[in-house]
This record gives sequence, C-alpha cells and structure tokens, in this order.
Amino acid sequence: MLKLTPSKKRLILFIIFGWILLILSNQVGDLKLYQGSFIATYALAITSIILLTGYSGQLSLGQSALMAVGAYAGALAIFNLGLHPVIGLFVAALVAGVFGLLLGLIVARLSGPYLAGTTLALAVSLPTLANQFPILGAEEGVPFDVGSAPARFGEDFSQYKWQFWIASLAALIMVWFIANLLTSRYGRTYKALRDNPVAAELSGINVGQVKVGAFAISSGVAGLSGALLAVLISGVSPSAFPLSLSFALLGGAVVTGVYSLKGVILGGLVLVAIPEIADSLVLRIGGSEGFTTSLPGFLVSALLILAVVFAPNGPGSLIKREHHKK
Amino acid sequence: MIRNKSMRRATLVSAIVATGAMLLSTLPAQAATPGVTAKEIKLGISSPLTGSAGLSYGKVPGAMKAYFNYINANGGVYGRKITLVSRDDKYLPVRAATETTNLILKDNVFALVGALGTATHAKAYKAAALAAKNVPDLFVNTGFSGFTNQVKYPTTFMVLPTYAMEAKVIAKAIKDNFPGQPSLLIAQDDEFGTDGVAGFTAAGHKFSAPNVLYPQGYFSTPGRDAAVITSLKGLLALAPGSKPVIVLFGTTDVTAALLKAATDAGVEKSFTWYAGSVGADANTLLALGVKSTTIDGVVSASFMPDAKDLTDPYVKQFVDINTKYNKGITFDNYVLAAMNSAMLTVQALRAAGKDLTRKGVMTAIETKGAKFASAGLVPLGYSATSRIGYNGYWVSQLNAKGEGKPFGGKLVIYTTDSGAGAVEVSTFVRPTMPKNGIPTNS
Amino acid sequence: MIQQFALLIWGIEMSEFITAVLISLSSGAIYALMSIALVLVWRSTRVINFAQAGQAVLTTYIGYDIVQKTGSYWIALAGAVISGAIIGAVIDRFFMRPIFKRVNSGPIVMIAPVAATLGLLGIIQALIGFKWGLTNQSIEAPVSTNGIKVLGSVIAFSKFNLLVLVFVSIAVLLLTLLFQRTNIGLALRASAYSPEIARLSGIKVDTVRTLGWAIAGASGGLAGMLYIPGAFLYPNAMDLLLVFGFIAAVIGGLESLFGAVAGAMVLAFAINFATTYISPKLFFPTAFIVLVLVLLVRPAGLFAAKMSRRA
Repeated sequence: MLKLTPSKKRLILFIIFGWILLILSNQVGDLKLYQGSFIATYALAITSIILLTGYSGQLSLGQSALMAVGAYAGALAIFNLGLHPVIGLFVAALVAGVFGLLLGLIVARLSGPYLAGTTLALAVSLPTLANQFPILGAEEGVPFDVGSAPARFGEDFSQYKWQFWIASLAALIMVWFIANLLTSRYGRTYKALRDNPVAAELSGINVGQVKVGAFAISSGVAGLSGALLAVLISGVSPSAFPLSLSFALLGGAVVTGVYSLKGVILGGLVLVAIPEIADSLVLRIGGSEGFTTSLPGFLVSALLILAVVFAPNGPGSLIKREHHKK
Repeated sequence: MIRNKSMRRATLVSAIVATGAMLLSTLPAQAATPGVTAKEIKLGISSPLTGSAGLSYGKVPGAMKAYFNYINANGGVYGRKITLVSRDDKYLPVRAATETTNLILKDNVFALVGALGTATHAKAYKAAALAAKNVPDLFVNTGFSGFTNQVKYPTTFMVLPTYAMEAKVIAKAIKDNFPGQPSLLIAQDDEFGTDGVAGFTAAGHKFSAPNVLYPQGYFSTPGRDAAVITSLKGLLALAPGSKPVIVLFGTTDVTAALLKAATDAGVEKSFTWYAGSVGADANTLLALGVKSTTIDGVVSASFMPDAKDLTDPYVKQFVDINTKYNKGITFDNYVLAAMNSAMLTVQALRAAGKDLTRKGVMTAIETKGAKFASAGLVPLGYSATSRIGYNGYWVSQLNAKGEGKPFGGKLVIYTTDSGAGAVEVSTFVRPTMPKNGIPTNS
Repeated sequence: MIQQFALLIWGIEMSEFITAVLISLSSGAIYALMSIALVLVWRSTRVINFAQAGQAVLTTYIGYDIVQKTGSYWIALAGAVISGAIIGAVIDRFFMRPIFKRVNSGPIVMIAPVAATLGLLGIIQALIGFKWGLTNQSIEAPVSTNGIKVLGSVIAFSKFNLLVLVFVSIAVLLLTLLFQRTNIGLALRASAYSPEIARLSGIKVDTVRTLGWAIAGASGGLAGMLYIPGAFLYPNAMDLLLVFGFIAAVIGGLESLFGAVAGAMVLAFAINFATTYISPKLFFPTAFIVLVLVLLVRPAGLFAAKMSRRA
C-alpha cells in the first residue's frame, strides 16, 4: 500500500492548495488577484525570515536588501541579457543566494545586536547603490517584465491573473522546498544551533558552516520574493525595498509565529490587510495625510510589540494555552 | 507527524482564511463604463502629497477639486458631479505604481487626470495596465516627451510642453540674451533630465563643461550641494570676468538647495541662474529658505501667465474660485496650473457628449482639444496624431518678490517641437475665457 | 577647456584637505553623540536601542515646536535635551522593564529586545506623522552656516560647524567627569559591569539603569538639534544617524565613552576622505566597509581594552 509519509502528505497538501488557487483565480476580480499576488510574495519573504531567524537563530534586518539584490539581478538578466522571465526568477534566487553566502561568511560570527545592527546598515546602504551605477537605473529602476500570458489563454487573460499564477506557483514551490528542509535533519540542526550553540558545537555540528548555509538559502528565498515583488510593481527601484519593508516582514513573521512555517500565509495576509484596514479606518474617522500614510506603519509596529510580549511563539501557542487552561 | 493538534489547526486556519478571503470577494460583473453613473464621474490622481516633492506639488489635487466643486455647483457636466480621488505617491515610482493600480482596481475611476512625475508615471502606467484597460490618462503633469509615444502610451494626453521643447527655448534665450557667456547644465539624471539634454543638443547648444547629472534624491545627503557649488567656482576661475549661465534642470527642492549653497558660499551673484520651469516656483523657493536677494534676477520660462498677475482674466477667475472653494490655500503657480488642467478636463468631458465613454473622451480631445479654452499663452497641439499639449514658452525673470515678469520687459512667445524644428516666435492669441470660467462647449 | 576645469579642481588641494578634516570633526561629533547614546544603553541594558533614532527625532520635533513658539534656538536646544532625558527614562521604566520582566525564557529572548526597540521606533515615527505630518520641516541654525573666511578664501566650514564641535566637546567632557568623578557615575559603571554585585553593594540598579537611559536620551536630543539645521526634519531624518552611530559604537567597542567618540571620529574621517578624494558615491559603501572590516579583524572594537566582554 502507498505509505503516506509526512513529506508525501505535505506534497499532496501543497498540490491541492495549488489547484484551489488556480480555480479561485478564475472566479475573482483583478483586485483580489493583485492582492493575492502580494500575499504570496510576502509569505515567501516571511518564509526566509522563519528559516533564518526562527530556525537558525540569526536575527537579520537585511531581508529588504537581499530582496533588492534578487530583484535587480533578475531584472537585469531579463532586460539586459534578454533571458526568459522564468530564468530571470532563477537568477534572482541564485544571485541573492550567493550574495547571502558571502554576507553570511562575514556576519556568521556575529550574534544578537551586532548581527542586527550590521544587517541594518546593509539594509540602509544597499538601496543607495542603485543611484551610483547608471546600469541600475537610479530611481527609475530597471523594468521587470514577465510578459503577458501566452496567446493560447486568450486575449482577455488579465495581466493580474498571470502575475498571480507566477507569484503563487513560485511561492508554493519554494515554500514546499523550505518546508521539507526544515523538517529534515537540517531543520533539527538549525534548531539545535538556535537553542544551544555550545551544546551544538560540542555534538559535532560545525556552527559556522550551518549558519552560513542558512544565511545563503534564506537569502535565495528572499531574492526570489524580491523578484516577484518587482514583477508586481513592473520594475525594480531602490524605493521598493526600504528599511521599513524589513521591519514589516519581521513584524509579520513574529506576529504569525517566527518559529514555524505554518503562519506564513497568514503573515502575508496581515501585511496586505494592514494598509487596507488603515484605509478604511481613515475613511471612517478621517485624518490628515500624515495620519493616513503613517497609520499602516503604526499598526505593524504595534502588532510587533504586542506579539513579542503576548504571543512570542506565534498565535499557535495562544491556542495551546487556551487548551491547557481548560 | 510529531506536530500537535493545535499547530495543525493553525495551518488549516491560515489556509482557510486565505482562500476564504479570496472566495468571499468574488466580484459581480463590472459596470459598463467604470467610474460613470447617472449622477457622478469619478476621476483619479496619483501625486506627491507628502515628502520633499509634496511641498511643491501637494496643492495640485486640492486645487483641481476646488475647480471641480465650482463646476458641480453650476450644474456639473450634463448633470453629473465630478469626484476626484487623490492618492499620495510621495514622488516614488513604486508607490505611484501601487496607488495608480489602487485607483483603477479599488476606486474604479473613469479616467486619470494630472498624473505627476516622469519616472513615477512611466512605472505606474505599466503596473496599472492602463493600456490594456483603455483608461484615459489625461493632462499628465510631466514634460517628458516620451509620453507622446502612442504605441507605448496609447491613452495618454500631455499638457505641459515637453522638456525638450523647454531646453530648446532656453538655448535660444541664452544665445539671444547672454551671448558669449560660459554655460553649464545641472540636471536630474533620468528621463526628465535627459529629455532636456536632448533638447539642448537638438538646438545645437554647447555647454562649457560636462553636464552635471545627479540621481534623484542625491542632494538629500548633506554637503553635496556645497560640493557642486565648489566646482562651479572652478568654472568662474576658468573664465575670469564672465558671468556663467547655470541651467538648473531639476525639481524645486534641488534648485533651492543649490541656490542656498551658492548664497552660503557667497557666489550667488557671480552666476546667472536659469531655473527650469519644474524647479522655479518662487513661492516654494522662498518657503524653502532661499533669500529673496538670491531669487531676484533668476531667469526662468513659463507658458502660463504669472499667478500674481490679477489683470489676466483667467488668473482672476481662478483666484476667485480658490478663495471660495479652496479655503486656506495660497494661490500660486501650482494652483493656477492645476485649475487650468481641471478646466481642460471639464471641456474634454463635455466634448465627449452625454453618453460618456472612455473611448469617447479620448476622441473628443483628439478632434476638439486644440480649440479648448485655457489660461495658457501658447497653443495646444492635440490632434488625431499628436498628444502634445502646450508647445511653447515665454522667457521670464523673477524679482525679489518672486514675481515672474517677461524678460526684458516684453512678452515674446516661442513655439517649437521636441525634435529638430526651429524655435519660432509665435503670434498665437488664446481663446477668450468662457463666462465665469464655466465651459459650455460640446 | 574641460581639461583645464579638471586640473583647476585638483589645484584647490590644500584648502580641500583642511576642509575635509574640519568637516570630519564636525560630522564625527554628531555621530559621537548617537554613538554615546547607544553605548550607554548597551552597557546598562545589553540592548541596542534602535528606537534612539525615533527618540532623537521626536525631541527635535519638540525643539521645532519650541522654535516656532519662542523663536529661540537655544531654548529649543535646552528643551530638546531635557525632553530627551525624560523620554529616555520613561521608555526604560514603562516599556523596556515590563517587557524584560515578561519575556525571559525561550528563544524569543534573543529577538525580543530588537523587536521591541524596532517596534517602538516605528510607533514613535508614526506618532510624529500623526501630529506633525510628513512634509519636510527645517530648523534654522542659530549662527551662520556660511563658510568661514580663512586667510582670504572661504572654506566649507561654518560657525555652526564650530558650534557643533564645541557643544559635543563640552558634552563629552561633562559625561566623562560624571562617570569618573562622581558617585552616580560610579554607580552607573558598577551597574553596567556587574549588576548583581552592584545590587549587593546597595546600588539601586533599576533606578541607575533608568538614569543611563535618560542620559542617552539627552545625548540623542542634543544630536538631533545639532544635526537637523543642516538637513531637513521628517520622521525618518535620523535613521541614517542611528546606523552611523551604531557603526561608530561597534568600531569603538561598545564598552566605553572614549571608544564611542573615537569610533565616531574614525568613521567620519573615513567617510569624508573617501567621498572627497575618491568619489562622492562612496558615502554609504565606505561606512559599511569600515563596519565589516572592524567586525572581521577586531570584533571587540578598535579601542576595547579587554577582548572579553561580548554579547
């Protein structure tokens, strides 16, 4: 009989979810497809944080910079080298991964606030490089064109549905891959590292190597999500990857549980929902432009603090506590 | 799996929530023409309301709304009231892309008006699929000549003269008024600036030193403006006794930064400053801290009457509307330009007829747009093959009060094209303003 | 003509060198203030206070309001410093302390301080947006920002730059006196070095720690009022300064006041000379490279006496 191992179960779950998304995409309007693409992209970015911070215990504020690296790499590959968009996505992940590898080599020895501060410096300085090199197009940026849907899907095939398909498919594949990684031996190694580095070292784990590896993979994932983001805004420019993006992603990750992949979709949803909620709040209670623009940031920050204080292990732990109380 | 029940529950919950959210929001079929009902026409604008560019352009949506409210109070357009949805893009291309998409997808606007910025709008046009959705993109607030390309931007109508046109007129002004002086160009390093560079090249103008091209946001780092002024002093040393013409082809905050740095270094009177129209609004410059003694004498160009010229019937009418419908906002060149675009918009909507469609309004501008009434002192160039709005400039000079008067005391209007055509003096006389500023065209 | 133009620029060497040195001192002074603030909090709480950027810009907005009302920069300066101290103390007492009490086990301990201070930064900046809006504001310097005339030519160093140097020197001097010569200073140092032993000797460690935050807040307040007159005021105006303050602190070793100041100077000189002599494009890359070099070669900081104390 077909033995349903956990990994096979996971694969089937992902495939089913993929089909559901496919069917849904034909039912909903452009707006939801547009938002859905952002959810997928953010969920993927949060996945990279789960791997890096939740599992291997390295708190990095530089995800936005890595997303930028991936986005620019992919955009340049398509625009300047004329490569196929799908290859562009691969290039994005690959280049970001290599960059992450190099970065990891530098910062692997750092812990806690040193790591946070260094990655903060990176997140602030990297986007400005775009203004230094003309090939990166400064604020105008480089277009990231995944083209329109193939002709056989018909003329009415919306640009947004096409982008949704690409974003969801890429995200699904990557998250599935990472899920497998995290439940494997590597995942256990990461957790051992995070919880007790000394013990891990003593039991023969090469702490440095594992950390760098986690950094590299996480960066590749971030790079891919950056490329997907560039698709949605039809091009990459430095202002697409500000420091506040790193904050928001970290916030989304912590709020929905930074120690487990379960909440990434919810995390993406939260990040997309917050500006919407802010919009409707403003409609209801009115406010100046300063209020309107600052409100989403306020909500994300407040959520982050509340999550750290009240549900540091994610909403799942809240549910668990409820159970235990009974 | 070793996962406990609650963890699995969390997974399920997330998945259900996400898909449920999508399922529950299946949209009903779209209305025939988005943004148009029997009672209302919804227009949208994405522009900087905050940030450094917000200082200059923040007034634009409010001014347009004021004019539209005036028209609404006087019958609207065939009984329909005009609503303007305004979104803040902070002059960032990324935000322009997302906010414009929101205007189309969420706010369901009929058309866009006054979209602002070259890089911002180029990105937004693509990201929001304006071509595919055939959304009219009226009277964009940018002079980048690329927007007249009907293949790339099939639904876009310009209003400002192109930067290339302005550069050609500047070149002629320098040649006519400052013969023999060295000159230097400081421009924003993107399509806005390079459009200008192309114009100078087309006019055959040679600068005395390489163009200083800076990326947007360059001068927000302290010290850089002083560095540029230092190199300008080098230009002085090269040609003693001269008064070089420095062309500032950037936004107002950069013009202000450079003028302030020059004043700090004590060299502001050693140069003739030519401020391109985008960065020359005197009120904003003064608000940003440029001394009035420095502004006195700055040369610029415009295609509109000066906002302080109350003898002009259009200006007077707009000032009236501003006082009644835009309380608390000082009338200036930005308000003037915004209301002017709003007036053009109303004429376009009227010309499209009572059965308002997106295609209809675009055809209306193509066939009738050149004859629309407006405050502009230069002709409008709309036709079946041309999406150019105004196609010329007159040379102005600012005084210490920040008023722009015709250079040399006499108003001379130049018209030209964005290419190799000559710069010609024009005898254009603009159409009379409709009574009370309320268009009655059809 | 173009070649002559380039040669002439090269010829202005000497005054450029002096200018670069002076500007480095002046910007280094401001980095030093942020660096001191970060080091103070780090020593007493083992937390890098990312919210410092928010606190500093908030106090500068308060200073801006005072300038609007009274027209005096000096009153505003005093106001900013005092409010900085108060805000710093309040944050420690009512925000950081409860969080640390609550979050004390599990892997979240590593993330909590960073997330908390980052979240606080976001909230402060959002609140500023609510109250003052997001348009750029400016504060006028109390003295001229024109270059001073030295030996006939104008150098790009102004009276205001000089003022910055003077003020920061005074501040550093006062702080050094405080730490080295007073009982409070002794208590501050003892609590930072070994809280348990300090408590045993009767020092109210918690109160002392709050005092450390207050001083850090005051330092940030001063930094803001000295920095903003040369730039624009908006909620994110001091983010960059935070990063540079952090880098300076790391260079200096995060352990001593002297290190904080020295690190700031090293950073400022590196950046200014790189941008003056090599290319203005190297502004950020230089900072990052210096940080990376220090972390690779001497992670405890260039000026740390002992290599022992790490995270």
